[in-house]
Amino acid sequence: MALDLSYNKYADVTLDEKERLFDEVKADLRYHHALYGCYECGICVAACPSARFYDFSPRVIAQAAAREDADLIYTLMNDSVWDCSQCFSCDRCPRHNSPGMLITIMREVAVNNGLQTARKALEGYGRIIYKIMSTGTQVSPDMLQPNAFPDWGGHVHEISENLDIWRRALPPETLHTTETGWAVDDKTIIELYLIWHMTGVMNMIEEIDSGLHMILVDVMEEKLEEAGYDLSF
Amino acid sequence: MPSKKILVIGGGPSGLEVARGIADLGYQAILVEKRDRLGGTPDEAQYAALTPDLRNAEEAIREMIEPVENNPNVEIMLNTLVTGSEGSAGNFRVKALQLGKPVEINAGAVVVCTGFQHFDPGRETQKYGYYEHDDVITLVDCEKLLKAHNFVRPSNGEKPKRVCFIQCVGSRDRQIGNEYCSKVCCGVASKEAIEIRQQAPDCKVYIFYIDMRMYGYWENEIYWPAQEKYKVNYIKGIATEIVKKGDKLLVKGEDTTLRRPMEVEMDMVILSVGMEPSSGTRDMAKIFGLKQNKYGFIETTGGALETVSTEVPGVFAVGACTGPADLEDTVSAAGRAVMKSIAFLRKRELVETI
Repeated sequence: MALDLSYNKYADVTLDEKERLFDEVKADLRYHHALYGCYECGICVAACPSARFYDFSPRVIAQAAAREDADLIYTLMNDSVWDCSQCFSCDRCPRHNSPGMLITIMREVAVNNGLQTARKALEGYGRIIYKIMSTGTQVSPDMLQPNAFPDWGGHVHEISENLDIWRRALPPETLHTTETGWAVDDKTIIELYLIWHMTGVMNMIEEIDSGLHMILVDVMEEKLEEAGYDLSF
Repeated sequence: MPSKKILVIGGGPSGLEVARGIADLGYQAILVEKRDRLGGTPDEAQYAALTPDLRNAEEAIREMIEPVENNPNVEIMLNTLVTGSEGSAGNFRVKALQLGKPVEINAGAVVVCTGFQHFDPGRETQKYGYYEHDDVITLVDCEKLLKAHNFVRPSNGEKPKRVCFIQCVGSRDRQIGNEYCSKVCCGVASKEAIEIRQQAPDCKVYIFYIDMRMYGYWENEIYWPAQEKYKVNYIKGIATEIVKKGDKLLVKGEDTTLRRPMEVEMDMVILSVGMEPSSGTRDMAKIFGLKQNKYGFIETTGGALETVSTEVPGVFAVGACTGPADLEDTVSAAGRAVMKSIAFLRKRELVETI
């Protein structure tokens, strides 16, 4: 879909609110290492895999930030940041900008402020978030089964047919399976849960998906209490 | 009797540097200036600070004037306008009017240092309305405001909240006939943008440009700091028109890299006017029979490798009378003209001795 950069696209949101959100982006400690200035050379777009598939431009992200254009930043925070694959190929910027990092920050601000577009963008990831946050792991090679993730598309069926041969041809770094890969030490789990709580990730989840948040709290509560931690901190 | 004196025409940065160099090497310079004081355009136009280092312009020009004033090897003739020349290399008899009275100056060689004039925005073919809107000013007008620490809207004396520069006014334009780049305006505009942000931190500053030409250290000394430290907003796209909207100016153009039309309100617009040969440069070219290029600048003979010799033996040209030049170009060319003009006299002397 074509990215619409017209002025004041979100007219129902006041400029003050857009500026408040941009100030939140700028207040992030990483911001000043992610943005210097932009002379619009386009090297970030040239390197960007997402730009090949979407009307997405890390250059525009850096430009909007460099121009301190709160209106445009708001538009991009809604319409563009979720098209980034966060590969950080754009870090080759000759001005030492990191559009990818700007996007990380903008996504966090979008999520923390419960932007509708952020909720929508993350809607399909509930199960992955649940898996990662509850077990600390997600994909292991043997999960590539036709029935495991129907939403991954028809090619999963093709790949899974000769999975053993694929794996011998392209050996993954570990030979984890769901059985071994999802087995996580209790100490590790507790540490993970504490990280999710203490770094504000749980608050983010609550902001975008209260149902998922409730399930995660249920799962974590018991283990944390057993380990002697009080969830209310 | 051949003269060993060198006539330097023009008392701006190039003339001052040439006169100083000649004197330092023990030769005699006659420095003529049509105004009643030395310093040239930076003085006449009251520049606030030099590009790229933001040095106080008055102080810097004063430092150039001091070594030639009261220098036994430099004769300074103010209020003097060169009107004609007879003779040739080694023996020029130059006619001039000093305070209206005819005088004759004898010189063995001549160095033309008559510089440029700022493009008159009344001639631009877009519709910027310099003579129509009080709040449309030029880089030169802006220097005066900055020098006086009085950066306010000419229309009402209020502090501006949004100002923009429009680059390449009178340069790089076939319609106007000036296809060349004036070389310094990107740097000067960026320098002024920094000064505006220093003097009026609440004022947003935009620069609408075609290409930013900030070569060498101007990149890291002005362009990057303007963007990174002073948050000057560079937008690739030139305004086509300025119209009045209430007490604001509506600037119409294209934000090319964001692919969107642009209509923005400004409190002030600063036109980055380029360089054209000064009337003095045109006159000296005629008087000394110097070849001019299609823009009226004096042509030197050897392209990049010979920047000061003209086709007329014994006549040299320095700085912005030969084409757009910054101070670094000017001062470097001045040194070369000192060397060339003195070498020219010494060679003649040797030939005559034999």
